[in-house]
Amino acid sequence: MFKHLFTLIWNKKKQNLLMITEMLISFLVIFALSTLLVFYYSNYKKPLGIDYENVWTVSYSSPVKTNNMDSIAMFYETLKQTLKSLPQVKEISFTSGNIPFFQDTWQGGIKFNKKEIGQVNNYFIENTYKEVLGMKMVEGRWFDKSDAIAKDKPIIINASLKEELFGNESAIGRMVGYDNKQKVIGVVADVKAKGDYASSGFAMYSELDTSSYHWLSRILVKVSPDADAAFESHLYKTLANAMKNSSIEIEHLTEKRKNINYFTLVPMIVSLIVAFFLIINVALGLFGVLWYNINKRRGEIGLRRAVGASGRSVSAQLVSESLILATLSLIIGTFFAIQFPLLNVFDLPAGVYIIAIILSILFIYLLVFICSLYPGRQAAAIYPAVALHEE
Amino acid sequence: MLKNYFKIAIAVLKRRKFFTFISLFGISFTLTILMVLTAFIDKVVGDDYPDRKRDRCLYINNLEEKGKSAMNSGGLSFYFLNKCVASLKTPAKVTIFSGFKGTNTYVNNKKIAINFKYTDANYWDILDYEFLEGKPFGKQEVDNGDRVTVISEDIKKAYFGDLPSVVGKYIEADNVQYRISGVVKNVPITTYMLYSDIYLPYTISKIDYKSSAYRGDFLAILLAASKDDVGKMRDEYEQTVQRVPMESKDYDKMYSHADSYIKSYVRSGNEDKSGLTYALTAIGIFALLVMLLPTINLVNINVTRIMERSSEIGVRKAFGASSKTLVYQFIVENLILTLLGGLIGVILSFVAIQIINSANLIPNLEMSINFTVLFFAFLACLIFGLLSGVYPAWRMSKLNVVQALKEQ
Repeated sequence: MFKHLFTLIWNKKKQNLLMITEMLISFLVIFALSTLLVFYYSNYKKPLGIDYENVWTVSYSSPVKTNNMDSIAMFYETLKQTLKSLPQVKEISFTSGNIPFFQDTWQGGIKFNKKEIGQVNNYFIENTYKEVLGMKMVEGRWFDKSDAIAKDKPIIINASLKEELFGNESAIGRMVGYDNKQKVIGVVADVKAKGDYASSGFAMYSELDTSSYHWLSRILVKVSPDADAAFESHLYKTLANAMKNSSIEIEHLTEKRKNINYFTLVPMIVSLIVAFFLIINVALGLFGVLWYNINKRRGEIGLRRAVGASGRSVSAQLVSESLILATLSLIIGTFFAIQFPLLNVFDLPAGVYIIAIILSILFIYLLVFICSLYPGRQAAAIYPAVALHEE
Repeated sequence: MLKNYFKIAIAVLKRRKFFTFISLFGISFTLTILMVLTAFIDKVVGDDYPDRKRDRCLYINNLEEKGKSAMNSGGLSFYFLNKCVASLKTPAKVTIFSGFKGTNTYVNNKKIAINFKYTDANYWDILDYEFLEGKPFGKQEVDNGDRVTVISEDIKKAYFGDLPSVVGKYIEADNVQYRISGVVKNVPITTYMLYSDIYLPYTISKIDYKSSAYRGDFLAILLAASKDDVGKMRDEYEQTVQRVPMESKDYDKMYSHADSYIKSYVRSGNEDKSGLTYALTAIGIFALLVMLLPTINLVNINVTRIMERSSEIGVRKAFGASSKTLVYQFIVENLILTLLGGLIGVILSFVAIQIINSANLIPNLEMSINFTVLFFAFLACLIFGLLSGVYPAWRMSKLNVVQALKEQ
């Protein structure tokens, strides 16, 4: 049966080669798109890792024009007290500019024994950061007072980094880093800092010391739910009076999250629309060519019907012919697609590619099946007498 | 002759309506996608509001310092620009201004986010902002450090509502009161070098513009007296930068260029990677991907359609038509089909652009179909028609006369 179908396909190899190319490229387009979709969806399913509601951010530009460490420290201490004394402010934390949902990124490397990992996000924070953002501990503890006098500088890493560096073993007490080794004291749950659809990546958190305040430019402020625009205006005035030489901007994490998701979603939606039209195009083309082929093969089909083939088996033959064509193109397509996880292109997890390949294979089969169904039916409806009479 | 081909083409189109529909659908939607993309790019980099003298201008927006283990790239400081640019002899005029930054203001307990930018007085001479009312601030006001500002139409609306005139009134931003000297037409944020909501004199900047660091938030535009001077101006600036001593021992190379608008627009900030190459490659790959599938689809359908006409071709060949004539005829037929699809594509893209504009995805970015866009659409049509016509025409010309006639 299959051998017979192959012979039929081989006899029209030129025409079929074009069909195979078309299916192959559709497969590759679908594969690219589904890889992205699967990747985004797998990120979307994971928890966000922080509680961003009622968290505001304050960006400011260097307010103190002095290099005297003591006066800088004093300035910030006063500022902290002023902010905390406001009734709606629950907690504040000075931090490096790479707040979750901001475009700012600060990356570096980390080393444990012989293992070196790049692209680790560095967060420099105060110990109130955990409370402001509602971070969750997985292992160990958060920064506390004793860390200020500790011999080894303590750091906290996120779950992904711990997994990569230590696997299933405990991370607590390990010394990591290059020349100045740091001691891991805790592991926090992953935070999707670049929005719901991005992966959390690796992260390490270090505590700020007083000498770093002069380059800071952002504050996280956790406010109570009843804080409104009137309070924001009041907070703004307070900050502006405290930091006379500085430009100040207050933003809300809820808005920043919306914005950063928007930057992922808009290109996604545009490519979905484009792919949708491409696929409709391909579907119509396949449908048209198959339909035309059946009209050309009326004599053959009529003869088969005359010698007793049922309508069902005639249409099954046509559908399986196109499915064999699809299989041929999918074999070639999968060969190309499988190179992505094998060569680890784009740094995505292999599972994402595998799921994407399976989804695209299913999609192409479904597309070809649907496109050949109606022409197949048409073929089954051919009356032997009419078809043979034409000959 | 062409008239005959045209008639035949229309007759063929009418014969198999379903195939015609598939072809036209493929062509018109592909062109719509390409045209919207062209319109977008044309608006983003081709729109010359507010820098109408673009062909005489060079833009400086990046300084890269490089050493063995250190690399630092981004905007320039006022100090560095002032040092390098003020001494140039070729430019007729020079302006130094900052990039935009955000702040808030609160009106009746409503928050308005405001982006601000510091400029000098020359900024308003070099750039042709359209003033809806009032006038720009001048050299006198900049030197005095007056708290004056030019605001955008959008901010006027957000801050004052529907007041007819706001010149002379005060606007509060960043906790400071500024007197409004003029209102200008909006600039979309995609023109990121020139975009802002309010423009302020640099002398009242809260940024320390006297600091002697090389890198900062500032940019500059050089205006040449005539188009011929542009090349000379570019060289002069580069030579000047070469003479500046390194900022610190960490660096041994320093790059900063005065470039045309498009080159500086897509500058990657890394001397080894040309932003323009990246942008063009990305656009090329996208256009290729979008066109590849429909082309193959069209080839497929065209081959099918030609086979249907085998008897006609057979007869013509039998009566002595050469392969060349047949190939020519078919390509012309196919071009007519693509141009027809292109026409539908233009209508579809007009609708699509209206929808995108009204969705207001990027504020103040009003895309439109103009001659540039139409030209590119026509070019895409031609390429499309040729690509999808050549292979089927070649197959057709190879058709054996006897076989073609026998099939009937």
